[in-house]
Amino acid sequence: MSGVNLRTMGHLVVQYRLLAMLAAIAIFGGFTLDDFLTANTLRSILDRAAVVGFLALALTPLLIAGQIDLSIGSIMSMSAFTTIAMQPFAGSLPAAFIGLCVGIAAGLVNAAIVVVLKVNSLVATLATLLIYASLVLLVSNSQPVSSTDPMFGLPLTSTMLGIFTPRSMLFIGAALVMFVWLKATPSGRTLYAVGSNLSAAVSAGVNANAYIGGAFVLSGLLAGAAGVLQALSSATGSPLAGSVLLIPAITAVVIGGTRLEGGRGSSLATLGGVVAFGALTTLSEYNGVPSYTQAVYTGLILILLITLDKVASGGEGKTTRARRGARTTPTIKARNP
Amino acid sequence: MTDLNPAARNASEATVRTAGALLGVVSIPLAIVALIVLGSFVSPSFLTVRNLLNVLNAYSAVGLAALGSTFVAICGGMADLSIPANVAMGALVALGAQPLIGPVPAACLGILVASLGGLLNGLLVGYMRINPIIVTLGTGFLLLGLSQLLIGGGIVYAEPSAFGSFVGGTVLGVPVFVWVFLLVALILHVVLSKTPFGRWTFAVGGNYDASATSAVPVRFTKAVAFVLTGMLAGMCGVLIALANGSARPIIGSGYEFVAITAVVLGGTSLFGGRGSILRTLGGVLIMALIGNLIVLIGLPTPSTGFVTGTIVLIVVGVDAYLRRRLGTE
Repeated sequence: MSGVNLRTMGHLVVQYRLLAMLAAIAIFGGFTLDDFLTANTLRSILDRAAVVGFLALALTPLLIAGQIDLSIGSIMSMSAFTTIAMQPFAGSLPAAFIGLCVGIAAGLVNAAIVVVLKVNSLVATLATLLIYASLVLLVSNSQPVSSTDPMFGLPLTSTMLGIFTPRSMLFIGAALVMFVWLKATPSGRTLYAVGSNLSAAVSAGVNANAYIGGAFVLSGLLAGAAGVLQALSSATGSPLAGSVLLIPAITAVVIGGTRLEGGRGSSLATLGGVVAFGALTTLSEYNGVPSYTQAVYTGLILILLITLDKVASGGEGKTTRARRGARTTPTIKARNP
Repeated sequence: MTDLNPAARNASEATVRTAGALLGVVSIPLAIVALIVLGSFVSPSFLTVRNLLNVLNAYSAVGLAALGSTFVAICGGMADLSIPANVAMGALVALGAQPLIGPVPAACLGILVASLGGLLNGLLVGYMRINPIIVTLGTGFLLLGLSQLLIGGGIVYAEPSAFGSFVGGTVLGVPVFVWVFLLVALILHVVLSKTPFGRWTFAVGGNYDASATSAVPVRFTKAVAFVLTGMLAGMCGVLIALANGSARPIIGSGYEFVAITAVVLGGTSLFGGRGSILRTLGGVLIMALIGNLIVLIGLPTPSTGFVTGTIVLIVVGVDAYLRRRLGTE
């Protein structure tokens, strides 16, 4: 009996965590800071969340498909560096496009390793995380480059419609487009089938490899977009731009409620998670909390939430085998009245 | 599915199996010999006792973490990505506590604190059954932040002590680091190959559900593998900190990849059920030689990461291919 109660409680907490977190941040921020609950703060939160947001969006379809990409931070670094380093040779706009292409190429490599060589995506992207990160350090000689055209990226962070900036609009737009794709198109819905029960999807005639490979390429593109945005708005191409953003991106996705076991999630949930996480970051920066303290609570939130997710879905379930092929559907679905 | 008749298929399967087994036995010594030959061509200073001892010395500390990772990999826990955090924890506590309780108790305390980090991993992976990579990424981020918080983001210096200079010194001409590494490897080799715990480790990684049904303490076994890795990572940090006389939170960055690469290079599968400490010993040796070659050739430092990542990809790719051919997955 107590097990059931614990599970129901866990389920409630898990379900409303986004609201609870946003409310807690608003209340705490309102009490500790005079000018926290303003449109200005909201604009700043949304604007600064855009980069992590694109990384989180990169993860979302992959997690739904039951895969993961740990190399997104490194892909972001490659794209950021390329975008700025190519500016003197190609011009600012083509350089940004080349930055995106670097992301797509990195995604293609990941897709090939996972789909063709059949290497588990956790291990494959762990290796490419290291390879991409080393590659950009090698090419850049471990030095950031400054933009030759610093004015080009400046409009990206200018105020639009009160609470938006162009880059936050881009992020929110991408999240909405992804939401429509995932929920309202056949290919989007098939992705959930691939993630929740791979062998059943394959038996039903779904070309699972194409979906998984496509999700990796999309992930590379979106991680590349994060790099391009970050590089242009800071006018610097740092080879370490994305190296510390993997965990915040995963945390934002998990706060939103997308499950690491596959088959569940949505890009609107990710949008919510990113905003909540961004609000928390902004709140701690306004309060002068040092960055390593932020690392501590980020790690804590991540661990706490994945543990709660596990409790809510039945910790004893068979879902956590590292091999992602033999996955069962989450038990929570069957308990709906 | 296939146009081959069963006999021919069995034959081709047998060939792959034999080739795989043969590759598994001879590849490590072969690679070591090849690297030594290559090294002696690259630089005249390579094949000297002093250089080879230096090579071993430089990789003995991180080798400890690789030994722990071997248990993690064999029991199906894949990898422990929180190694750098536990290395930092061990190092910072060992030096930070020195003025309060003396060098030897401080070193023990450092190892204990790192073991607690491993315990956190063990509880989450073993008992909560959460994906080990995600768990250790999260705990690594958390513990590294905590270690920075502990010292306010700076650097900790050691007090000069007899213990510190002993750790950094040599015994019978061989560095203490190497002695510690070999001793721990010997103990863990016996544990893995001769004790019930060793058999549980293989059983849990080979078939989790069957092991659980056969009354193997599956959760405990997995958890202990992570505690062991945390402890050894802490030991690694303590050794390096004492020998260097200072410690920073980034002291162990990249060590998780060195450990993983040494494990998979030796032929231990990241997906459980297969491997040995001796293989990891070989893997550490190969990593040490490659690292030394990169320095001697004069390639920039990030090349090590590039080479390491590529090696992991190739080895895991071949492993996946062989498993598929043999129908074990």
